[in-house]
Amino acid sequence: MTTTQATSTGAVAARIDSGTKTYGQGDTEVRALDGVTAEFESGRFTAIMGPSGSGKSTLLHCVAGLDVLSDGRVFIGDTELGALNDKDLTLLRREKVGFVFQAFNLIPTLTARENVLLPLLIAGDDHDEAWFDQVVGILGLEDRLTHRPSELSGGQQQRVAAARALVSRPAIVFADEPSGNLDSKSAAELLDFMRRAVKEFGQTIVMVTHDPVAASYSDRIVFLEDGKIVDELHDPTPDSVLDRMRQFGA
Amino acid sequence: MIRTALKTVFAHKLRLALTAMSVMMGVAFIAGTFIFTDTIDETFNDLFDDLFAGQDVIVQGETEIDVGFSGPPPMDAGVLDLVLAVPGVDAAEGSVGGLAIIYDKEGEAIVPTGPPTIGGSMTDDLRLAGNVELRDGRVPETATEVSIDAKTATDNNIVVGDVVKIQSPMEVAEYEVVSTIGFGESDNLAGATFAGFELATAQRLFDLEGQYSSIVVIAQEGTSPDLLRNSIASVLPEGVEAVTAADEADAQSEVLSESLGFLQTALLVFALVAVFVASFIIQNTFRIIVRQRQKELALMRAVGATGNQVVWMVVIEAIIVGAVASIIGIAFGFVIAQGLTSVLSAVGFDLPSTTAPLATRTIVVGFAVGMGVTVAAAVLPAIRAARIPPVAALQDVDVRLRMSDRRRTIIGSIVLVVGIALIVNGLFGDILDLGPLNELTAIGAGALMVFLAVSMLSSLIVKPFAQFLGWPLPSIDNLTGTLAIENSVRKPRRTATTASALMIGLALVAFFFILGDSIKASAGAAIEEGLRADYVINVDGFSGGFSPVLGNTLDEAPEIEATTSLRFGFWDRDGSDEFLMGIDSETVDQTIFLGVTAGSTEILGQGGVMVHEDIVDGEGWVVGETIPMGFATTGRQQVELVGTFTEAGVVQANFLIGMGFYEENFKGVGTDVDFVLAVKAAEGVPGETSRAVVEAAAADYANVTVRDQAEYRKSQEDQVNQLLVIFNALLILAVIIAVFGIANTLALSIFERTREIGLLRAVGMSRRQIKRMIRWEAIIVAIIGAVLGIVVGLFFGIVVTAALGAQGIDVLSIPAVQILGLVVFGAIAGLAAAMFPARRAAKLNILEAISYE
Repeated sequence: MTTTQATSTGAVAARIDSGTKTYGQGDTEVRALDGVTAEFESGRFTAIMGPSGSGKSTLLHCVAGLDVLSDGRVFIGDTELGALNDKDLTLLRREKVGFVFQAFNLIPTLTARENVLLPLLIAGDDHDEAWFDQVVGILGLEDRLTHRPSELSGGQQQRVAAARALVSRPAIVFADEPSGNLDSKSAAELLDFMRRAVKEFGQTIVMVTHDPVAASYSDRIVFLEDGKIVDELHDPTPDSVLDRMRQFGA
Repeated sequence: MIRTALKTVFAHKLRLALTAMSVMMGVAFIAGTFIFTDTIDETFNDLFDDLFAGQDVIVQGETEIDVGFSGPPPMDAGVLDLVLAVPGVDAAEGSVGGLAIIYDKEGEAIVPTGPPTIGGSMTDDLRLAGNVELRDGRVPETATEVSIDAKTATDNNIVVGDVVKIQSPMEVAEYEVVSTIGFGESDNLAGATFAGFELATAQRLFDLEGQYSSIVVIAQEGTSPDLLRNSIASVLPEGVEAVTAADEADAQSEVLSESLGFLQTALLVFALVAVFVASFIIQNTFRIIVRQRQKELALMRAVGATGNQVVWMVVIEAIIVGAVASIIGIAFGFVIAQGLTSVLSAVGFDLPSTTAPLATRTIVVGFAVGMGVTVAAAVLPAIRAARIPPVAALQDVDVRLRMSDRRRTIIGSIVLVVGIALIVNGLFGDILDLGPLNELTAIGAGALMVFLAVSMLSSLIVKPFAQFLGWPLPSIDNLTGTLAIENSVRKPRRTATTASALMIGLALVAFFFILGDSIKASAGAAIEEGLRADYVINVDGFSGGFSPVLGNTLDEAPEIEATTSLRFGFWDRDGSDEFLMGIDSETVDQTIFLGVTAGSTEILGQGGVMVHEDIVDGEGWVVGETIPMGFATTGRQQVELVGTFTEAGVVQANFLIGMGFYEENFKGVGTDVDFVLAVKAAEGVPGETSRAVVEAAAADYANVTVRDQAEYRKSQEDQVNQLLVIFNALLILAVIIAVFGIANTLALSIFERTREIGLLRAVGMSRRQIKRMIRWEAIIVAIIGAVLGIVVGLFFGIVVTAALGAQGIDVLSIPAVQILGLVVFGAIAGLAAAMFPARRAAKLNILEAISYE
C-alpha cells in the first residue's frame, strides 16, 4: 500500500454553474434542477442527498455528461461540457470519468477482468498492471477475475464496477446509489473501499444516495430539494446526517 | 382479448412490420406467380379466340397421340372437295403452315427469343381469315410475294414494296412485301413473326404439296356450327376430323395453358422456398416477442387470465399480422409479376406485358398461405407463453421455455435421417414404395426436412462455430469483435434460426452451382469424346430449326467429307412424352461417336430405333424385340429395337431413329427441319479453308451459328449459365427475406440489450464502435448461415448429380470459387442486414437506455 496522499488539493474536479434542467413545456413543465451552483473538489468524496424527485440524479447525470442542461454550464476540469459534441463527450467519459450505477453495471458476456478493464479496452489502451492488481487486490476480486457477472454475488458485481471506475484513473467518479441493491455488509465493504480510494489514492468521487449511512462515508454532503441546493454538511456521521434530515421534515 | 392483442400490435409496430414484411414478400411471390401466369394465359386465350373469329368449323388431321411440339398431321388436298360438297357450307379453303424466318435488310434473321417464327398460306376471302387484317397493300398472288406482320415490318423498317429474304424449310429466297397484316388490334401474334404466302407457294415451301394442314369452313346463314360439324364429319375419310372453331380455340389455348402449368409450378416452388424462409423469421420473431413479454404475460396470468387466453392473445396477434401482410403481399404481387416478366425478358423470353387480372384463386391462396404460415409459426411460441407461471411476474427470472438440448438432438436427428432417406429414395428410387407420393414431392419434402433438421441441430454447434469463425476478430477489432462473438452465441437457438433462414436460399444457390457446373463438365467431356465433326451448326436462341437445304449444299462441297443432320421430336412412351433424335445414319459414324454396343448405324438406316444401353438394361429389353412408340402423325406402332449405344452426350437423346423413319413419322409436324448439323471437313483441308466454306454456305441462314468444337462446348456452357442466372434470380427473394430476418432478429436482440448498450456508451464506447459491434455480429450470423448453406448445398449437389448419372451427367464438378464466393456474399448480406439495427443502437439515448427495464 502506498503512503497516504493529500486529502484535498483545493483544486476543483467538476463544477456546475447556475445549472437548470427542465422537462416538458408550458403547464407540464417540470424543473428538475433550478439554478444549481456547486463545486466538487479534487480528492474528496462528496455525497448528494435529497428526497425522491429532488433532482439529485439529474444533477449527477448532468455533471457527468450523460445529460445536457437546459441552461447553465458544467465543467469537468477546465472543459465545458456544453461545448462538446457527442464524440468529444464520449471521449471525455472514457478518459476523465468513471461510473458506478445502482444495478446492471456489468456487460454479461465479458469476464470480471474484462469488465474492469472495459474503458481501457474501448480505448484500445494498455493498462498499468500494477495498478490493476492493486485495485483488484483491495476489492478482494483476485480469484473472481475469470468469472462472468452471472457467477458473481451482488456485492462482488458492484465491487467489479467500482474497480472499473478506478482502473483508468479518471478525474472524477460518479456513483448513483451504488449500494442501493446490496445487503448492509456488502454495502459497508463497497463504501469503505470508496472512502479508501479517496483517502489513499486521492480519487474524486461524487455519489448520489438517499441512505444516511452511505452518505456518512463521504467528506461532504450536499442536500437538494426541489431542484435547489438547500444545505451542506461536512465530515458527516450517520447521526448528524439523520439530524439534518429531520430538520427538513423528510 | 382481441382488444389487448390489437393494442399490442400497435405498441410494437416496428418489429411486427418487419415480421409482416417477410410474410408479405412470400405472399407477393405466390400472388405474383399467379398473376403472371394468369396474364399470359389470358393473353393467349384472347389471342386464340380472335384467331378463329368468324370461322365456324375447322377440318384437320386427327391424332390420338398428343405429344409436345406436334400439330395435327397434314391431310390430302382432296378432302377440300368433300367438304365443299357438304350442304350448309358457305365457303371453305385449305391452308398450310410451317417454319419461315424473315431476314432484315442487313440480312440478319429476325428471331424473337421465345415466340416462334411462323409461316403460312394467306386467303383472299377475308371472311375465312379470322381476325387477320390487311393493314396496307394486298394479299400475295405470286410465288415471289409475301405478306408480313405489321410489328416485324415497323421494327425493321420494312415497307410494302421492299424485297426481303425469307428462309423456309425448302429454300432461302427473296420475296416482295405486298402487304403488312395485323391480328385484330394487335400488330403480331403474341411476339411471333409471320410470313404469309400464296397457297401453292406455301405448300411448296413447307414441303406439303398436295396437302393441307387444315381447312377452314364458314357455315351458311342459319346453319349452326355444331350441326355443320356433324355433317362434315360424316363425309371425312379416316384420319381427318372436324371440330368447331370455338372448340379448337379452347383446345389450343388449353395446350398452351398446360405448358404454362409447368412454368407456374416451377415458379411456385421458388415462391414456396421464399415462404418457408419467411416462416423461420416469423417463428423467431414470435418466440422473441413472447420472451420479451414474459413478465407482461405472467402478470395477465396472475390477475386471472387463463392459459388459453394467453395463447389466443398471441395467436390473434399473429392473425392480424398475417392478414395485413397478406393484403399488402397480394397487392405487391403485381410488382412481382412485372419483375418476373422483366427477368424472363432479360434472358430473352419476350412476353406480353398487359395488365394482369386478379383471380379469386390468387386472393384465396395468398390469404391462406400468409395467414396460415404466420399463425402456424406463432402457435408454438403461444403455447409456450401459456406455460409461463404467474410467479414469473414477480420474480426477475428467465423462465426456460425451450426444448432441452437432448430432446432437440433426438428430434433433429430423426428429422434429418428421414429427410435424407426421402431424398435418396426419391432420387435413386425403388427402395421404398411411397405409394401416391410423387417422387419429386418426396424429394422436396425431404429437402424441407433437411433444412428443418439442420436448423434444429445447428443451435447446438452455434457456439463453437461462431468462436471458430470469429477467431480473427479480436485481433482485428479487440473489444467490439469479442463482444460481437459473445453476443452472437448468447441465444444459440435464435442465432441458429436466423442463420438457417439464410442457409436455405444459399444452399439452393450452391446446389444449382454444383449441378450447373457438373452439367457443364459432363457436356464438355461428352463433346470432347463424342464429337468427331469439325463444326457444329445450330440455331441461335429459340427458333425451331433451319432448312435442310444447308446440309445438302455442304454435301456438294469438295472440302466437306460429311454432314449429319439431327432433328428432334417427341413421341408417346407409355403415356408420357419422350424425346428422340432423328439422325443421318449413313454419316453419323464420321461425325459423332455414339459408342454403339449392339447393332449398327447401318442397320438403323433401314428403320427401327436405337436406345441408350442404360435404358435397355433398365427395361429388360433385348435387341430384336419391338417396343411400342406413339407418334402424333402416324399413331401407335411397334418399332424394332435394332441396337444400343452408350454415348448420348452429343446427340442429347436416349432414343435415336434414322432420318428416313423420322420423315415418315414427323412430316408436317413443324420440327422436320434440321436442329443441329454436324460437319466433318475432308482429310487434308486446312481449317481456315473448311471453315470459310461452311461459313459461306451458312451465311444465307441467318438464324444459325457455325461453331468449332471449342466454341460449341462454350455455347453449351453458356446455355447452362443462362439457366443458372434465372434460378439464382428467382432465389434472390428468399435471400432478401433472410436478410430481413437477420435485421429483425438483430433489432429485437438490441432492444433486449438496451441497458447494456447504454452502459457501454456511458463508460465511453463511441457510436461508431457500437455500430461496428453490431455489424460484426450480423456478419458472424450471416456467415454461419452461408457455411451451413454450403454444407447442405454440397450434399444436395452431390446426391442429385450422382442420381443424374444415367441422364448423362456423369462428372461431378464443384465450382470452389463460386461456392466460397457465397461466404463473401453472406458477409455482405450480414453487413446490409446490420445497417438499420446498428444505426438504431448507436442512436440510443444513454440515460434512457441505462434506466431501461
